Amino acid sequence: MSQDKVVWDWEINGKTSFWSHSLPELWSYRHLMAGLVRRYFLLNYQQTVLGPLWILFQPIMTLFTYVLVFNKIVGIPTGSLPPVVFYASGIVLWNFFSESFTGTAATFKDNAQLFSKVYFPRVIVPISVISTHALRLLIQLLLLFLVIGYYSVFSDFSIPFNIWILAFPFTILLIGVFGLALGLFFSVITAKYRDVTNLVTLGVRLFMFITPVIYPLTTVPENLLWLVQLNPLTPLFELFRLSLLGEGFVTPYQLLYSVSITALVFVGATLLFNKQGDKLIDVV
Amino acid sequence: MPEVVIEVEKLYKKYHLGTIGTGSFRQDLQRWWTTSIQKKEDPFFQANGNGSPDAKRRTILALQDVSFEVKHGEAIGIIGSNGSGKSTLLKIISRIVRPTQGVVRGRGKVSSLLEVGTGFHPELTGRENIYISGYILGMSKPEIKAKFDEIVAFAGVDDFIDTPVKRYSSGMYVRLAFAVAAHLEPDILIVDEVLAVGDADFQKKCLGKMREVSQSDGRTILFVSHSMQAIKNLCDKALWLDKGKMQSFGGVSGVVNKYLTTVQQSKLKQSWSTPEVAPGNDWVRIQSVELIPHHNNPDEPLDIRVPLTVKFSFWNRHDNVFLSAGLHLFTPAGECIFDVPSPSTICDKGIVEGECFIPGNFLNDGPYYISMVIVKDTSVPLFNFEECLTFELDDYRENIQWYGKWWGAVRPKLPFHLKQAAPVLA
Repeated sequence: MSQDKVVWDWEINGKTSFWSHSLPELWSYRHLMAGLVRRYFLLNYQQTVLGPLWILFQPIMTLFTYVLVFNKIVGIPTGSLPPVVFYASGIVLWNFFSESFTGTAATFKDNAQLFSKVYFPRVIVPISVISTHALRLLIQLLLLFLVIGYYSVFSDFSIPFNIWILAFPFTILLIGVFGLALGLFFSVITAKYRDVTNLVTLGVRLFMFITPVIYPLTTVPENLLWLVQLNPLTPLFELFRLSLLGEGFVTPYQLLYSVSITALVFVGATLLFNKQGDKLIDVV
Repeated sequence: MPEVVIEVEKLYKKYHLGTIGTGSFRQDLQRWWTTSIQKKEDPFFQANGNGSPDAKRRTILALQDVSFEVKHGEAIGIIGSNGSGKSTLLKIISRIVRPTQGVVRGRGKVSSLLEVGTGFHPELTGRENIYISGYILGMSKPEIKAKFDEIVAFAGVDDFIDTPVKRYSSGMYVRLAFAVAAHLEPDILIVDEVLAVGDADFQKKCLGKMREVSQSDGRTILFVSHSMQAIKNLCDKALWLDKGKMQSFGGVSGVVNKYLTTVQQSKLKQSWSTPEVAPGNDWVRIQSVELIPHHNNPDEPLDIRVPLTVKFSFWNRHDNVFLSAGLHLFTPAGECIFDVPSPSTICDKGIVEGECFIPGNFLNDGPYYISMVIVKDTSVPLFNFEECLTFELDDYRENIQWYGKWWGAVRPKLPFHLKQAAPVLA
């Protein structure tokens, strides 16, 4: 062949790389991502009476139950915070994490049919799932603000505006990234070894109990503290409450631990997802 | 000289057979250890098929050593029987699955249409589905907006555009789904057997659109179909895959003819050297039976235009019998197309011969078998020779742009006239 051998636009071979997509390529699929988010909302509230109000209805019902069971019946102390405010903040944040995680973990399982018929960067799906849940979180945060507002007006609870408020978006971002990273990791694992699917649903339910969702970290007995503190979500939940409600227990070391674990899992999961994603179509 | 836009080089694709269960995780670990840590060949992959018996039994090579080039603006038809690797090849070129070995290189944007209605959701309205399916197939929002009206018009669903597609008739659904795909503007379009769905009218529309895309817009098309007629009509070149191997690649008519002559599982001749081994009874024994096609080139496939002669001979074992023969032509479903008796004649011991001529342009396309009966005194069957010949006739249509199955038990070319009797005076 001649020297001016043609330059190819693309090449497909058996090797999958760890960095399979460039950012400009992903950007060119932004319409698809927005479309998938839109589809999610349309599908969930098509033919329902309450429609998008379900986004609020679910946490409100959970809140009632939690306050009734954990506060009134079991009597878990919530520090100086009103129980409703305490549980509302925990529920909203935990929902965001657990739904992001289980949603992205089902990427290959739920989209096998689509993935086997058309190509687009697979990572678009988990990104759109996490975006969907971020939008839902925004709406649920409004509910949380309403609850906080109500209690600061009608009770002696006062909103503590302090420097920690700056950490508020940071905690949400980190929890989102952690949920996405775990989800990416498990989406690959569940596609290949199906029994892990059951483990994911069970695991996320149990995981909640070693996260300070229904109890503040300060009430954890000394001998079990290590278990709760091993969980990288613990400092983030505490920081979330500290920034918004002014009460939470977190040290810089714990925070550093959370950030490093999140970064580590995120990088590892992204690499695994890219490397394995294209091969999985043969298996799912 | 048009530039090469796709280059496929030594492509292999291996699939594991059986279920993934016990041992697969161990195999994964072992593979990872040998390929990634020791930098050796995949222990479970053997390109030459000399693998260990165990590995061989549990894997299948869907593609083996497939290499070809596609030039800009070419339409390539991919043919082969079921399971020959056609769809696997398209999926690899579409980036859906990875090859086990080998490379595909290309230039330009690729869109693949491997099913009708990719990304469609029954709960969403036609409008929403056009957008989401368009995005999934690789269109941008402004692109879809610009073509939205055109898509709706092509599908003919104007009144239903804001109705969930689950309430569409299946025809409307398919039309809308294809309409979205038809308005893609990739450099390379990959299409898998979309003509299998939809009615004749719709098929015609699809084919027309595809021809428009390939001829006037100069796009490159890879097209899988079981309709040789559609392939011949649309494509310049054809690629024939058989059990994952390339049998032939080149000009469309040559490859299609070669494919058809090989695939036709015909029993065109049977003969026996002595009466002792021949089928029959005390009255008659068959010596030979043969179907002779009268076409110019023996390499060409049998199609509906070819006249046929059925020639047979048998041993008659009694003197002075009043004999006749009958030929029955059946479809595989057992429907008798015709039952033709021969004239009767007085025969003595020895060989009796006969032949019957079936004109061309008479039978419809499809597989057939012939049974023969030998009759005494025009009423007593002596011997029934069932399914003595089998053959298949291919379709042939000249200047007809319709690719559905032709109706009718027979397809005779009868004298038929059509003319304008009187022009309308405007």
